[in-house]
Amino acid sequence: MSRAVLTLYALFLYLPIVVVALFSFNDSELMAFPLAGFTLRWYSALAGNAAFLHGFVTSFLIAQPVGVLGAAFGLAAALAVTSEHMRWRLGFAALVMIPFLVPKSVLSIAQAMLMSRVGLPRGALALILAQTLVVIPFTTALIAAVLVRLDKKLEEAARDLGATPWQSFRLVLLPQIKPALSGAYSVGVILSLGDLTISMFLAGRTQPLSLMVASEFRRELRPDLNAMQVVVLALTAVVLAVSEVYRRRRARVRRGRSVAAAAAVVEAVQ
Amino acid sequence: MTRAHLALPVGLFVGLGAVAPLLVLFVFSVFVVDDFELKPAFSPRAWIELVTTPSYLFLIGKAALSGAVAALTTSLLGYPLALALARLPPAWKGVGLVVLLTPLYTGEIVRIYAWRLVLGSEGLVNAALLASGTVAQPVKWLLFSPFTTALALTYNNLPFMALALWVAIERVDRRLIEAARDLGARPLQAFLKVTLPLTAPGLAAGVFAVFALAAGEMLSPSLLGGTSGQTAMAMIDNLFGTAFDWPMASALALGLLACLFGVGAALAFAASRFAGARA
Repeated sequence: MSRAVLTLYALFLYLPIVVVALFSFNDSELMAFPLAGFTLRWYSALAGNAAFLHGFVTSFLIAQPVGVLGAAFGLAAALAVTSEHMRWRLGFAALVMIPFLVPKSVLSIAQAMLMSRVGLPRGALALILAQTLVVIPFTTALIAAVLVRLDKKLEEAARDLGATPWQSFRLVLLPQIKPALSGAYSVGVILSLGDLTISMFLAGRTQPLSLMVASEFRRELRPDLNAMQVVVLALTAVVLAVSEVYRRRRARVRRGRSVAAAAAVVEAVQ
Repeated sequence: MTRAHLALPVGLFVGLGAVAPLLVLFVFSVFVVDDFELKPAFSPRAWIELVTTPSYLFLIGKAALSGAVAALTTSLLGYPLALALARLPPAWKGVGLVVLLTPLYTGEIVRIYAWRLVLGSEGLVNAALLASGTVAQPVKWLLFSPFTTALALTYNNLPFMALALWVAIERVDRRLIEAARDLGARPLQAFLKVTLPLTAPGLAAGVFAVFALAAGEMLSPSLLGGTSGQTAMAMIDNLFGTAFDWPMASALALGLLACLFGVGAALAFAASRFAGARA
């Protein structure tokens, strides 16, 4: 019963993606059913498209710092929000959620107005910072969800044995949350690659892939755009898969590691 | 110096990057534009125009309506999904989470583009309907209509609602539902009298988030909604870019935000009362 329900929902959630993939292999200029036969020509057309490759490199280079900064800010926010000493916990959580709840277009327009008023240029840097801001609510939730489930006693033990806060963080806490950090990094990369709204207002002369695609297909649908979308989705899936494999591998060795880490702390402070 | 102090750099970044630009909107909304230059002033012109121009109020109302529709459709669709996810064996829950969240990672543009392939006159749905003989002519209202906007907003936000409900359902004591069933409640009764009231906070959180997200969307309505796709967002964009009327753009943006958070909070409260009242 619930298996059937889940299958139906998966069909709904994945239907659009499957249709795009189907047409990327369809041997016809027209995107219409019935399908006309199998071809790889849309992919080979893509490989020779210098503008696409340039757009993709731009998107990729912007996504890397967004992933790293998003994970770093998410870690700081998650550590703060789960800390026992935190005052105004609810207020801080609400502040961090603002970039999630305020529509991205309103936020980007407000940022663009403020930046042009005080004379800051739009471009890659503005785009990276604005995307990081929108990523923070996701990474904070992801890392905080792991932090609240950790065994507090390991950290207390490290502190009792004389470890400084930095030592207990690096040797006890960090090994346990590395999978969450890599997950946060990939969420940042993926949201950055998929973003169009923020890019529209803040990219300046920078041309990420999503902007190029948007300007191309406002005019018409073309089959090589399908191939492009499939490539982007496939790369997204690779990022997800790599971080998932990494997470599982870490999860398996985690228990052993934290014991080893506790031992290392004992050694370090003696 | 404790972990709590790490809130400072994050607070500073979010404050400068998000709160400051939103606050500056208040300042810009009372400035005047003179000869294509924004000049400091204290003019209520934009605010008066906001409350006296029917098309602005209409667009804000429309944003609230599409947000409310999305909140309703995602809650109706979200409960069966979240219940099914909560019944998965523990080993499969991680897989369920990945499958639920992966569609969120497809770029905005990919999703919009895909709906055009699914719903167009020569798209998947029409091809299936024609082939099965259900209709003689392609159904036109599937694409570029209010229906398309509602469908896209539901699709984009269903994972968020399902996640909020799933987390809430996981916290419900299974024994309470079993007790209700043992005492003769049918599954629907057990859901309405036990599960729904106990998951009211999750429902309220989901309604608030989905309402705010859906009401603030600009791209899906404008690229899929056809002539019905005019949104307050697109109007703000237009006032900001083409018309260079920053005071009006600021006032409209703030009016929209006030409506989003006001109506969103009211809906979330109503959802928690509605679900809670059945206890």
